[in-house]
Amino acid sequence: MTSTVHAPMFQTVWWRRLVVMITKELRQLFRDKALIGFFFWAFIMDVYLAGSGTSMQLVNAGMVVHDADHSVASRELIHRFHLPYFRFDGEVAHPDEGVRRLDFGDVVVLLNIPPRFQESLASGEATAVQMQVAATHSPQGLSAASYGARIVGEFGREVSARAMGMAANDNLSLPIVRSDHRIWYNPNQDESWFMSISEVLTITTIFSVLLPAAALVRERERGTVEQLLVSPLTPFQIMFPKVVAMTLVILAGTAMSLFGILHGIFNVPMKGSLLLYFVMMTLYVFTMAGLGLVAATIATNQAQVSLMTILVMAPMITLSGTWTPPEAMPVWLRDMMLLSPLHHFVTISYGIQLKGVGLNILWPSVLAMLALGSSLFGFGIWRFRRQFN
Amino acid sequence: MNLRRVAAVASKEWRETVRDRMFLSLAFLIPILWMLVFGYGMVLDVENIPYAVLDRDQSALSRDYLYRFQQSRYFDYKGMLQTEGEADALLAASKSRAVIIVPEKFQERLLAGQPVGVQTLVDGTFPLRSDITKGYIIAINAAFSEELVVDYVARVKGLPHARARALVQPVKLEVRYLYNQEVKSAWTIAPALVMFVLTLAPPLLTALGVVREKERGSIYNIFSSTVTRLEFLVGKLAPYVGISAFNILVLWAMAVYLFGAPFKGNGLFFYATALLFVFITTGQGLIVSLLVGTQQAAAVITVVLSVVPTILYGGLLVPVSALGPETKVVAHLFPAMYFTNIVHGTFLKGVGLEVLWQDVLVLVAYATALLSTGYWLFRKRPAV
Repeated sequence: MTSTVHAPMFQTVWWRRLVVMITKELRQLFRDKALIGFFFWAFIMDVYLAGSGTSMQLVNAGMVVHDADHSVASRELIHRFHLPYFRFDGEVAHPDEGVRRLDFGDVVVLLNIPPRFQESLASGEATAVQMQVAATHSPQGLSAASYGARIVGEFGREVSARAMGMAANDNLSLPIVRSDHRIWYNPNQDESWFMSISEVLTITTIFSVLLPAAALVRERERGTVEQLLVSPLTPFQIMFPKVVAMTLVILAGTAMSLFGILHGIFNVPMKGSLLLYFVMMTLYVFTMAGLGLVAATIATNQAQVSLMTILVMAPMITLSGTWTPPEAMPVWLRDMMLLSPLHHFVTISYGIQLKGVGLNILWPSVLAMLALGSSLFGFGIWRFRRQFN
Repeated sequence: MNLRRVAAVASKEWRETVRDRMFLSLAFLIPILWMLVFGYGMVLDVENIPYAVLDRDQSALSRDYLYRFQQSRYFDYKGMLQTEGEADALLAASKSRAVIIVPEKFQERLLAGQPVGVQTLVDGTFPLRSDITKGYIIAINAAFSEELVVDYVARVKGLPHARARALVQPVKLEVRYLYNQEVKSAWTIAPALVMFVLTLAPPLLTALGVVREKERGSIYNIFSSTVTRLEFLVGKLAPYVGISAFNILVLWAMAVYLFGAPFKGNGLFFYATALLFVFITTGQGLIVSLLVGTQQAAAVITVVLSVVPTILYGGLLVPVSALGPETKVVAHLFPAMYFTNIVHGTFLKGVGLEVLWQDVLVLVAYATALLSTGYWLFRKRPAV
């Protein structure tokens, strides 16, 4: 017998051990009925709910009006505040009543039209309309003010055009800079696209960190890891199958939400390569699993590992650009977020799905994620080995 | 209920928590660290938008126009482009979020009193950002146009500037922001973060604490002891409620002193409702822990149940009034929304029970329902 005969046999044994261990992990996972039920809820219902009705833009903002003029002009102006941005909730007799409505929070905007509004317009005096905005939610407050300014500006331009003896829409003879916008990648500004993609990223992150971490610590906490260590398995063969099993399950989950919810219900496009998307998703899940493994080698019980991973994970989820625009963060925090694999995966995921770009453009993010993933994974395995040798 | 037995269970639980140094320090550190990171990081202000410019006119007026973007703190200048192809590449690589294209004859046409269309390409992947970006660009264009038009009208009609201005812009909109005069998102976010952290941390501590006993089997000691169900639950939850009760103070202080959020309401009212909310989230953790068998499941379920609904429907980033009909129903099912109303009401509006009584009532109902469900679910002789 020469070693050339042994080599393939050794390899088959190596692979078969891996397969057996992966099967073991999958069985163990599927026996946890509560967890599996929840898995479906998260990847299907949560993604659906996130995409179906949440909007960070200004929509349907309740507005009450205090109209002290009750003229044709004031009514015309009020009519211009309409849905989808503003919802007319009636008039109030006194401004104080409007402020009380703002206190209760069912309306966001109080519009005050001064007496003699129409008269002032007709006589060419400058006049002003007041708008009180509840800025408890600052972006919506800003948007309300900005839409209000646009509506009033437009109204004023038409009034002045009439006064100067031109047709209302005739801007041809005035030096005006018109704003022509082209919105790329999501031309209808459909928020369900953004929200559902963000939600898939969030759910994937939670599962890919917590599942492997908890699986590893559980073995140690219950002492079953001793059984595995006296078996002919190497530490790598104990750890790696856990990650593979969880990755398989998570990929199935993302496929479910991608085809079932994102494509099926929200018509989110997949402009780039589907294969590339799943390869990148796998890489991402591995990277996050690496983070979980590192935490698992530091913690001694499941309670600790859960708290530790959640401590790191919650900022990652919220600050990597899935829920807030990262450009506005302070510089030190923005730099710190470069260490978050999700930060890079956000670029990759939106890039492939909405922008249709490939590796030629995404390579810096992919490289960054690879670097983070392999160092986390390497560090995790190194610590695991050291603990048991 | 025998108070001595309750105290015994509570002190056992407290010791167990204190002896796990890592667990204990995380229980206190997590709220502080999150408050820090989120408070600084969850900024909804759209600022420093990276943008590039393609100036096809290269005139004095176009430079004057583009300078306004450079001056604005909302925009972050990334450079001058030569062709539209470069614009595509920049947007695709997410290196800039907007490209402004000034057309040929920009100056010539404007000086001749003709309108000019300036095209902006905006990255639409994040609709909130693109919407606000668009708003800023329109505002800058409007301000620039107004000056040009006033100049033009004054020149053509031979009017003084002030008169021309009144003619061009007969109506002004005066905006006053209530509750948050400077429209700082930190003022919105910091109080809401108190809610966020209190939704997340207490149920996690509780769920892990209870499932830990189940998974290790030490709960059989309780099953065979004289401690009644109620005594066990009260004693078991007391330390976790205590930790959170302390954390409320820390979070409040951070929101007010670190992030400068104003606190206009009644402190006692706020503390009482926050404590009520802690009872609710603790109850959530308790129910999760009674329904699952492993800490792994407990952690995942608690996180998904708390993170996702609070971010989406809790009124943290999205006001509940802006939700769609289905989601609005879901939002009303989770307690987070009601507590956000209370938090924003007490911090920013300075209102109390007279306005917020409905929210308080709902929270009381939640606390009662969750804790009694927990009591009902917990059996000393489990079926399995």
